[in-house]
Amino acid sequence: MLGLDLSIIWDNLPLFLEGARMTLFIVLIAFVAGMSIGALAAAAALSPWRLLAWLVLAYVGLMRGIPFIVLLFLIHFGLPAAGIRSPALVSGTVALSFFAGAYYTEIIRACVRALPKGQWESARAIGMSPWSATRQVIVPQILAPMVPPVVNCTMTMIKESSVISSITVAELTFSGLVVQGNTFAPFEVFVAVATIYWFICASFAGLARLFEKRLAGARRNQGMTPLVGRYLILEGKRAR
Amino acid sequence: MKFDPYLILAALPRISDAALLNLRIAIIALCLAMIGGTALTVVRSLKIAPVNLVIRVMLSFIRGTPILVQIFLVYYGLPAATGLRLAPEVAGIAAIAINSTFFISEIMRGSLPEIDGGQVEASTALGLPPRIIWRRVILPQLFRKISPMLINEGTVIVKGTALLSVITVVEALRVAQQIGAARFRPFEPIIAAALMFLALNLTLMLVGRLLERRFAREVR
Repeated sequence: MLGLDLSIIWDNLPLFLEGARMTLFIVLIAFVAGMSIGALAAAAALSPWRLLAWLVLAYVGLMRGIPFIVLLFLIHFGLPAAGIRSPALVSGTVALSFFAGAYYTEIIRACVRALPKGQWESARAIGMSPWSATRQVIVPQILAPMVPPVVNCTMTMIKESSVISSITVAELTFSGLVVQGNTFAPFEVFVAVATIYWFICASFAGLARLFEKRLAGARRNQGMTPLVGRYLILEGKRAR
Repeated sequence: MKFDPYLILAALPRISDAALLNLRIAIIALCLAMIGGTALTVVRSLKIAPVNLVIRVMLSFIRGTPILVQIFLVYYGLPAATGLRLAPEVAGIAAIAINSTFFISEIMRGSLPEIDGGQVEASTALGLPPRIIWRRVILPQLFRKISPMLINEGTVIVKGTALLSVITVVEALRVAQQIGAARFRPFEPIIAAALMFLALNLTLMLVGRLLERRFAREVR
């Protein structure tokens, strides 16, 4: 069977946890920055100015069309080419922020689009300024539907942040590569790294499920007869 | 250092050659994942408790860990644990295909309830065996329903192939890095690689749009 030498994991646990802290730090910054980018870009996309909306479309399309590792290299090598010297940690965090920002833009835009148009129009009609209509009418209504996709997307960003190891930022995956270099025990090392990511993401997924349960009303599957459920439902007990 | 657009053009031929490898890896991985995802879905529908428990844990693992770490596990971890050493391309395809298998099964799980239950009941009343019900009634409709999401999964796979540069597969990004290192100009070749990935993904989305339109016409 697969022998797992736990002492290798145990001995290097402080290094892994240090890496995990760096991962969480990067994701936290990228979350805050990405949300800000997302809010601004979504506002621009929904504004009456065509050019702005078009620019946002190009930004989102570009971010979704190229792999994160390519974006990371673009920023890491592009900034020095533009005369800006920045440490790898900064390049990595900036790249993840812009990457996350594109996905958050799409989420915010979709949530605003899902609101009835009358909400905005009547807020403006009773004399609210665009700013207060946004803040007092639109934002409170999109917060709840935003939660599940944002948690989901942030989980993706936690995972994508592993790619930042390739420009030698000392986050969780990089700590794995370092320990692998020291111990020559790749199986133990990457099982440990994967488990830590798993733990972080499972906590997030748990949160998402909690929110979803609270937000989702009727379950879709409930109208089915047991026979139909035998084929079309994958979870639970088999009906006789 | 001044930005030189000519260097992007100069790097394009070699990088586009290498991008064909990305495309090939992505197509193989997607085909394997579609077969695997369908099989996994049918197995899950049998609702054998211990099997589904194992699948749930594996699903959670696949969804909860970065694909990069999964690639490292297959490429570095597997030989150390079992002595089975895979070529980088094979390890990469395996990691991406396994990852995608679970995601495609999840896509299917989400769309299965949209299939008209009356058809399943009618097929059973006609005495069709489960194998035929899956093959002739459920799956053809299911694939049409999930085709937009499959295309999306396809773009995820194409993007995943870029990560194989980290385990020394000589694909588009790796070639871009090599060209950049040879000329001490890393930035311009990366732009060329970005354009290649963009082209691959936009083509894929276009194919998806065409497929969707065709399926829409078939439905009366």
